[in-house]
Amino acid sequence: MASRELSYQDLLKIAEVIRTASHFGEFRLKVGDIEVNVRRANGAQVGSHAPVEPKGEPEQRVLSKTEAPADAPAVHAPMVGTFYRAPAPDAPPFVEAGSKVEPGTVVGIIEVMKLMNQVEAGLSGVVREVLVGNAQSVEHGQPLMLIDPS
Amino acid sequence: MKRFGFVDVTLRDAHQCLWGTRMTTAMMTPILEEIDRCGYDTINILGGAVFDVCVRYLHEDPFARVKLLCERLRTPTDALTRGQSLYTFELFPDDVVELNAKVLAKLGIKVFTVYDALNDNRNLESSIKAGREAGMKINGWLTYTLSPVHTDAYYVARAKELVEQKSDILCIKDPTGLLTPERGRSLFSAVVQAAGPIPVQLHSHCQSGLAPEVYQVAIESGFAHGYTASEPLANGASLPATEEIAGRAERLGFKTGMNRKALKRVADYFRWLCVREDKPAGVPAKYDPALYQHQIPGGMISNLRYQLQTMKIEHRLPEILEEAARVRKDLGYPIAVSPFAQYIVTQAVLNVVQGERYKTIPDEVRKYAAGCYGKLAAPISGDFLDRIDLKEKDLVSNRPGENLEPWLPRLRRELPGALDEELLLAAFYDRKLLAPLSKPPPQYSFRTTPLAELAGWLAQRRDIEYARIRFAGTEMTFSS
Repeated sequence: MASRELSYQDLLKIAEVIRTASHFGEFRLKVGDIEVNVRRANGAQVGSHAPVEPKGEPEQRVLSKTEAPADAPAVHAPMVGTFYRAPAPDAPPFVEAGSKVEPGTVVGIIEVMKLMNQVEAGLSGVVREVLVGNAQSVEHGQPLMLIDPS
Repeated sequence: MKRFGFVDVTLRDAHQCLWGTRMTTAMMTPILEEIDRCGYDTINILGGAVFDVCVRYLHEDPFARVKLLCERLRTPTDALTRGQSLYTFELFPDDVVELNAKVLAKLGIKVFTVYDALNDNRNLESSIKAGREAGMKINGWLTYTLSPVHTDAYYVARAKELVEQKSDILCIKDPTGLLTPERGRSLFSAVVQAAGPIPVQLHSHCQSGLAPEVYQVAIESGFAHGYTASEPLANGASLPATEEIAGRAERLGFKTGMNRKALKRVADYFRWLCVREDKPAGVPAKYDPALYQHQIPGGMISNLRYQLQTMKIEHRLPEILEEAARVRKDLGYPIAVSPFAQYIVTQAVLNVVQGERYKTIPDEVRKYAAGCYGKLAAPISGDFLDRIDLKEKDLVSNRPGENLEPWLPRLRRELPGALDEELLLAAFYDRKLLAPLSKPPPQYSFRTTPLAELAGWLAQRRDIEYARIRFAGTEMTFSS
């Protein structure tokens, strides 16, 4: 082969061989003026090459401190989504433990696919405990807060 | 000889569609010089998702990217905003919209492209006025969709509005690739005629596989430009390849002025970047007739499927998509793009899961129906009309931007001495989200070679303990 520069086509082929031929420990290539020698680390896994970029995933769901009995009076998530306790990041929460609620009282917001849905208490009483933290993802039917009915 | 020109989307919509918008500035800089040689009329570098992903996930200052790209590119650059919603889905007051246009012009943007997802061109008024005053060319987009009300006459009426608003360029944007060559034949010449001397562009995605044919019809119908991407980042959910559309234009006897050698070097780089970054290249989509029924973009369906899985009702997806088609009709045929696609899908999920239609109507769907975001394409109807119970006082009929108080006086009080860019970022985002943006940017390289890429790639692989590259008397060795 005549002396020439390494091309992107060469590069793609080299990368392909190094990525896929994991059973070879050593790799040598000579293209024109260019010579490449590569030795694989012992027991290295193919595909472990890419530096893993930190992902902007939502925080892990925090489970309730209290395991409430399944039939305890509670406000349940009407849909899957992200639960917000306040109408805005810098606003106070809709309710806290000890807050009095009526069936129509808004106790939080569930965001699903960028849509904000108000969650109403659905019963009268006093909030005993809020089970889900702000901006946590919740599942359909998951208890959001326990209510002592009045 | 007639001419057909090109607008590049490789640095914006192409990676938005194929890479979840995750192309960093550092991935762009080494190839800018070559992109400049390709012969594009304009290079689109900014849009809503690019802006948002820069801030939230890449932790880059989007305005710094715009400034850098505008400085490095000689080809005029294009920035896209969602009109009164700018880079998000909420509406901003006129003072924020105006400041944004001023900032983009100052950073070097030459073409200011605006659209409204409801095609309510009143939502473009403040952008167009401010953009023109700041010295940018205005490119007004018409968003295409399929429905009984989105007729050729509907688009001609919208095009005439944009002409009256003194757009310098008009463009038909087909966000989900719904255009067919047949529809193009009637629609395109009607819009070209309505535009008169104003050049018309096409921006269509490839989900249905028909886009290259649709571009050919646009070329034949007298369109001036097409939006396209470098071949490895074209097709799939992205736009057609520049190489392919330039070939079609040239075979039809049009001059394109595209530099094939430069295009090939750009494509070579991006093909390698797909491997280096472990990101997919675009693959031509198979024709999918279901696309024309529910019109929900593919990305949203995969998101929906995931959410349904967590609710353990994934098997109801077909039922939900069918309901989505009915919801869209009841809602007056909103275009299935963000945020309205989410409204349709969420309402359809609620209707199906709750076993009763419109038992719950999300607040945003209610606001949409009341006209808070702009005029609806058709009146709301069916069960939705019966259940929503809108009061006269809730209805909004004026230009939505008029109902918003200025924000800048408050922001200026809160951030004394802040730059315009900082004021805008503070208007869009929570302060916590902006903190990572203040980190110093990396050292950008403005040139690369396959050899340099090989060395960099080998050096960062953890499965390699030793590598030696010898070239023209120099030798590089890496060893762990």
